[in-house]
Amino acid sequence: MTQAAHDPFSLQGKTVLVTGASSGLGRQIAISCARRGARIIATGRDRQRLQGTFDLLEGSGHQQIEANLTDAQDRTALVQATPRIDGLVHCAGRQMLSPIRQLQESLMTEMYAIHFLAPVMLTQQLLITNKLAPAASIIFMLSTSAHIGTRGVGPYSAMKSGLLGIIRCLAVEQARHRMRVNGISPSVVPTPMWGDAGQNEQLQAQEARHPLGLGKPEDVANAAIYLLSNASRWVTGTSLVMDGGVVL
Amino acid sequence: MTANDPFSLAGKRILVTGASSGIGHQTAISCASQGATLIITGRNAERLAHTAGLLAGDGHVSVVADLTQAQDISALAAQAGSIDGVVHAAGISKLVPLRMVKQAHLEEMFAHNTYAPILLTKELLAKRLIRPHGSIVFISAVASHIGPLASSGYSASKAALLGAMRSLGLEVAKQGIRANCLAPGYVRTPMLDGLSAGGVDTEEYAKLAPLGMGEPQDVALAAVFYLSDASRWITRNYFTIDGGLTVPMDVFA
Repeated sequence: MTQAAHDPFSLQGKTVLVTGASSGLGRQIAISCARRGARIIATGRDRQRLQGTFDLLEGSGHQQIEANLTDAQDRTALVQATPRIDGLVHCAGRQMLSPIRQLQESLMTEMYAIHFLAPVMLTQQLLITNKLAPAASIIFMLSTSAHIGTRGVGPYSAMKSGLLGIIRCLAVEQARHRMRVNGISPSVVPTPMWGDAGQNEQLQAQEARHPLGLGKPEDVANAAIYLLSNASRWVTGTSLVMDGGVVL
Repeated sequence: MTANDPFSLAGKRILVTGASSGIGHQTAISCASQGATLIITGRNAERLAHTAGLLAGDGHVSVVADLTQAQDISALAAQAGSIDGVVHAAGISKLVPLRMVKQAHLEEMFAHNTYAPILLTKELLAKRLIRPHGSIVFISAVASHIGPLASSGYSASKAALLGAMRSLGLEVAKQGIRANCLAPGYVRTPMLDGLSAGGVDTEEYAKLAPLGMGEPQDVALAAVFYLSDASRWITRNYFTIDGGLTVPMDVFA
């Protein structure tokens, strides 16, 4: 854009906290949002990989904060170190598959801690400490598995569906501050979470069934930019499904 | 941003129907300010000229057309030439309780809201006027899922777009062409003013949405996103833009 000031999709002047920024979708979202003018607070567990993301951020004023978000103390420390933010993107996550019949309580508990409790309680703490500015935009990274049934994906699917409930209720609760709460539900986007793409039969089979092929992290990052920017100021309580046409 | 801005519409030719008023009017303006060359169409020559006067950039084309007429559709397609995107924003609404519905009312709703966008798309595809990686955007309405009072004809005509769009999306995916619906809630437009003139308290409707009444700009910028390469992986999607209106409703359950 020649007139950056008039770009409705600009993130200039906005501070955005991105979790899971050390890898995959979170990493790309941090990079793309910085390119669009945002000041990024990047958080992740792995110091070295977080530094790798940090080194790729354009612009200045960015911060990196190492944290394991399943740990309540780390969450508190992160919230304390975080300045006032205009955007929050929950990307931290890890896939673990198990048919329900073989489900172990330990696996289910871990999935709950990573995918549900961590983002929900981090959001709670940011709200209670007034770290979320009026008209802030909150994004939960979901998955099409929040909406569909897939064999073996039960624990992940259930936690992502659980976040839909949080998105709707929080959207209603925070609307008086013009805050917006939405999800992004991507289908298959090859990231480190999926393993090595080249020799991954599962990914190749998935590619064949998506009318537009598989997504790229940049596609998800562009959706995040739309939902973080003022262009979407009247969009709340939804989840933006992006699936290359394979459809729920 | 640089020339590689994925949200830019520079170099794209975009056709917007219903550009003389409301959502179509604002969509045309927003697309032009994102760099697109517009082909705008509407029934009212005077109001269409008014929209044309507000478009940034040059090379835009205005075509007065009534899209319920087959000859107008083919004339429009011929004048539009090759395009990268179309936004079907033309639409009408009338409140009629079902017990008073006449076939003529249903035919009128479907002619404008359903058949016109489908048949215009058909004409554009048959003449190969939509370029590879083009984007087809239908403007549906959350009425499709809510079904407000006295809106059976309108709601049915908008709901029909969902099925049509999903099927179309599969058919055109090979060329990388995308088809999506935007489903707005209550937006401040002349169409809504028309309903309030008919005795409906639209301000009361607006209060139902946690974020209040929407502006045409809110839908127009979503359309820009759906037309731009930023959404290149999104197709066959029904996207709600309603200020949270449907969030406390189980209409999507």
